[in-house]
Amino acid sequence: MNRPGAGASTGTGARAAAGAAAGIGRLWWIAALAAAYVAVPTVLGADNYVMSLIVAAMVIGCVALSWALLGNMGGMVSFGHSAFFGVGAYVSAIVTAKLGVPVLAGIALGGAGALLASVVMLPVLRLRGPYFALAILAYAHIFRILATEWSSVTGGSGGIANIPVLPTIFGYDMSGKTGAYLTILTIVLLFALAYRAMRASHYGIALRAMHDSEDATRVVGVNSTLLKGLMLMVSAFMAGVAGAFNAHYINFLEPDYAFNSVWVTVPIVAAIFGGYRTIAGPVVGALVVYLLDQLVFKTLIPTGHQLVLGGLLVAMIIFSPTGLLALLRRKDHA
Amino acid sequence: MTELILQALYSGLLQGGSYALIALGLALVFGTMRVINLAHGELVLLAAYIAYSVESGLGLNPAWAIPIALVVVSATSAGVYWIVSRIKKDREINSLILTFGIGVILTNLILLIWKADVRSTSSSWLQEAFVVGPLYSMRSELIFFVVSLLLIGGLWWWLSRSWYGRALRAVSSNRDAAKLMGISPGRTELVSFIVAGMLAGFAGVALYSYGVIQPAYGGALTVKAFIITVLAGIGSIPGVLLGAVLLGVAEALTVTLASSGLQELAGMTLFLLVLFVMPNGLMGAARRRG
Amino acid sequence: MKNITIAALTAMALAGGAQAEEFTVGAELPLTGTLARVGSGMQEGVMVAAEVFNKTNGKHKIKIVTIDDESAPAKAVAAVEKLASQGAVAITGGYGSNNISPASDAANKLGLVYMTSGGVDDSLVNSGRKNFFRINNTAGYEKAVLGLLADMGAKSVSIVFSTKEATSDLANSVQKALTAKGIKATTHSFDPAITDFKPIINKIKLQDKSEAILMVGYENDYVGILRAARVLKPPVKAMIGVWSLATPKMAAEFPDLMPNVYGTALLPFPAVFDTADGKVFADTYKALYKKEPDYLGQFGYVQSMLLFEAIARAADKGTVKKGGVAEELRKTDRETLIGRVQFGANGDNPNFVHRMGQHQGKNIVIVWPRETATGKMVYPGLPW
Repeated sequence: MNRPGAGASTGTGARAAAGAAAGIGRLWWIAALAAAYVAVPTVLGADNYVMSLIVAAMVIGCVALSWALLGNMGGMVSFGHSAFFGVGAYVSAIVTAKLGVPVLAGIALGGAGALLASVVMLPVLRLRGPYFALAILAYAHIFRILATEWSSVTGGSGGIANIPVLPTIFGYDMSGKTGAYLTILTIVLLFALAYRAMRASHYGIALRAMHDSEDATRVVGVNSTLLKGLMLMVSAFMAGVAGAFNAHYINFLEPDYAFNSVWVTVPIVAAIFGGYRTIAGPVVGALVVYLLDQLVFKTLIPTGHQLVLGGLLVAMIIFSPTGLLALLRRKDHA
Repeated sequence: MTELILQALYSGLLQGGSYALIALGLALVFGTMRVINLAHGELVLLAAYIAYSVESGLGLNPAWAIPIALVVVSATSAGVYWIVSRIKKDREINSLILTFGIGVILTNLILLIWKADVRSTSSSWLQEAFVVGPLYSMRSELIFFVVSLLLIGGLWWWLSRSWYGRALRAVSSNRDAAKLMGISPGRTELVSFIVAGMLAGFAGVALYSYGVIQPAYGGALTVKAFIITVLAGIGSIPGVLLGAVLLGVAEALTVTLASSGLQELAGMTLFLLVLFVMPNGLMGAARRRG
Repeated sequence: MKNITIAALTAMALAGGAQAEEFTVGAELPLTGTLARVGSGMQEGVMVAAEVFNKTNGKHKIKIVTIDDESAPAKAVAAVEKLASQGAVAITGGYGSNNISPASDAANKLGLVYMTSGGVDDSLVNSGRKNFFRINNTAGYEKAVLGLLADMGAKSVSIVFSTKEATSDLANSVQKALTAKGIKATTHSFDPAITDFKPIINKIKLQDKSEAILMVGYENDYVGILRAARVLKPPVKAMIGVWSLATPKMAAEFPDLMPNVYGTALLPFPAVFDTADGKVFADTYKALYKKEPDYLGQFGYVQSMLLFEAIARAADKGTVKKGGVAEELRKTDRETLIGRVQFGANGDNPNFVHRMGQHQGKNIVIVWPRETATGKMVYPGLPW
């Protein structure tokens, strides 16, 4: 709304306003962090059921974040993030259960394993759009079958049972619901910060330029394939860590579960729903979609709630394709 | 050993024909609109369940279900098109999520209506063996292989000769130019969805006749169809048949020569190999980079 | 007035011990997703058990709360936790070690008993779980299959099995046992997604030349394998399957594929229930669901009835909230539809031996073990 003489649109007034807005933005983030780390465990910690749902949603959120990162920074849509999730899960499970590596190190190794898996996928980078998306899916299937057939290492279709639980850190037992929640929360937070740093760095700017025109960046001298490869590896690492965490949280792993298509579809839905162009979008989307589905829809319509979820998705795409966060922000400006 | 390989090739060929029928609808829509209909597998499954209802409810041969399946699935497909056409921007990725959501709705509807049991045809005539020398198959497999070839040929003819077919190709290569030439892209795209629905109808009845159906299968069918579509290359109908047969034969040979546990592996590896060598699919026209 | 009422209530409370109570039992089952078929079958058995128990116990009542675990481990865990928060005193259900493993751990942490018939894997009972109970196991299926093959005197067997966990476990155990007895056993694994079994059957026909084919898979696999066999006609003498095969449903839906085929079956068809327990089960099932009970319903029924009875006994002793249910379960020793059931220290039922049935005409005849057989087997006998 423009009032006559609304004040200087340039100069100190605007800069002060921008500074104030940034300050409010920062306050908002601090409040959100405080809520996540303190309020949620204190208020909900006793309710195992809700905490279960939140942890599961956060795992999805982590994969969604990694998927969105690949899409935004690498410009590539992937239909096979379950490949990284599963490899991360198996590597971590095997090194901790069979080689006695401590769990946290195992999770990091799981991420590294997924990163190595992405190296195998580098030749696929030169494929366009849907070809790339499907090629990654093919890898996911191949890894699943490898996990089933290579039974001496992976336990075959029977999988690996009794995977070690999250350890006790500073005297706090992480294997409980609250501990698991705090662990995954920290992981997601670290990844989000890393994502933000990458986006702001000059690599990030180069990648976004590349997103708009690959030819232009070639001319300027940016090695687009190398950057894309790096983004694939980062995305794989993140998804792998999510898978590794999940393995230690559920304590059981088998090929069908580790490489299940649910680790492909739900994160994509979550990322799009929350707004995949933003950093918070995928995680917020995951929480909203998962919790809404399990807490609200499932109680109302026990055997048809997935239908409602499908309908919600359809509605979202038609009315607010840039996601939930964008929809909420639009409402504020009205 | 030769007998085994011959039978594997024959089985693979027939299976490939059926795969092609399932993939055809998806390939058509993808070629025309660059839209991947992730609900396509569910459309095929819907037709299969209609065949089941016709056979178990009316006691008729599943072939009688074809007219009903065609009407119902085409109508559903048109409905999918209507929803997809509401997308205002970023159609490629948004249609992906949208059709995924529609797929979820359809799968759950099928589960609610027909329950979770495994179904297939009980017609003995369709399940009888048809023997040609050392080659064995079920009657239903052979019949629907021929049907598949006829439909592929028919579709190819329709795309190259009929007005709507050529309009479809025009819209697919340059939407705005087509508009200038007086072709309504919206109407043409609707036609492509309806034809895709009809193809899915045939594929579903065929699936019920030679295979087994369960509500959870929709997703797997979509993935297979998608793989064949990409293998074929955008815009190529003969490519779909070639890709599908290649897939079928690769699977059958893997099962025969190696272990049957590796059947899916064969399909995926073949897929990746072809993409590495021919990044635009088997018959994909060369495309400008970027 | 109020004082007298309070006094009366206090007196009743002080009288203590056995009062009629209603107990909530949680049913965590897959009703959607890939395991929807088995989950809904088991659910029927659980509900029948609740109905029968409430009618016959006369004192305590059981209320079932069902939560769909959507065939997913994380949701199975969440379902158990939600059921616990709703006051469930025990959990019945679960299918697949993948889901049962974390779900029973969650139940354990909450101090709840977890009773299932859907987890035949050995790792479930070898991990030191104190509150886990199951009425069936892989060994019971293995004994039945080996017994039947021994009766047939087959000298060579081809085993076709799905690479899923339960099926490959059973197939590999059977193969080891047969080889130890000097019977030639060739194995062929297949990916669960396979629909055309002709290449495998052709291999068996041209290379193995076995006397019998053992199929270890699920309904869709059996249909595919039998169809391929009918087309190729390998020179075998028997087609043997395991679960989900010797059922009236398969006989009704695929009449051309079933003749003379063997599968595991608890009861013959038409079901002859000669025990009072069996009769009441069959009648209640038919009344509630208007169809014949199948093996899933039978298992669901037996596991739940034993659980409810243990809860009732614990309630009488006032130990329900103090681990009494598990204690009472371990004292279980009774004949049921599936034979004698007891629970070992690890929760397994050591007596479990399945039975083999054969499709003969429109009926299913129990042909092994001889003690419970209702007819003789037709051997050699094939669907073509």
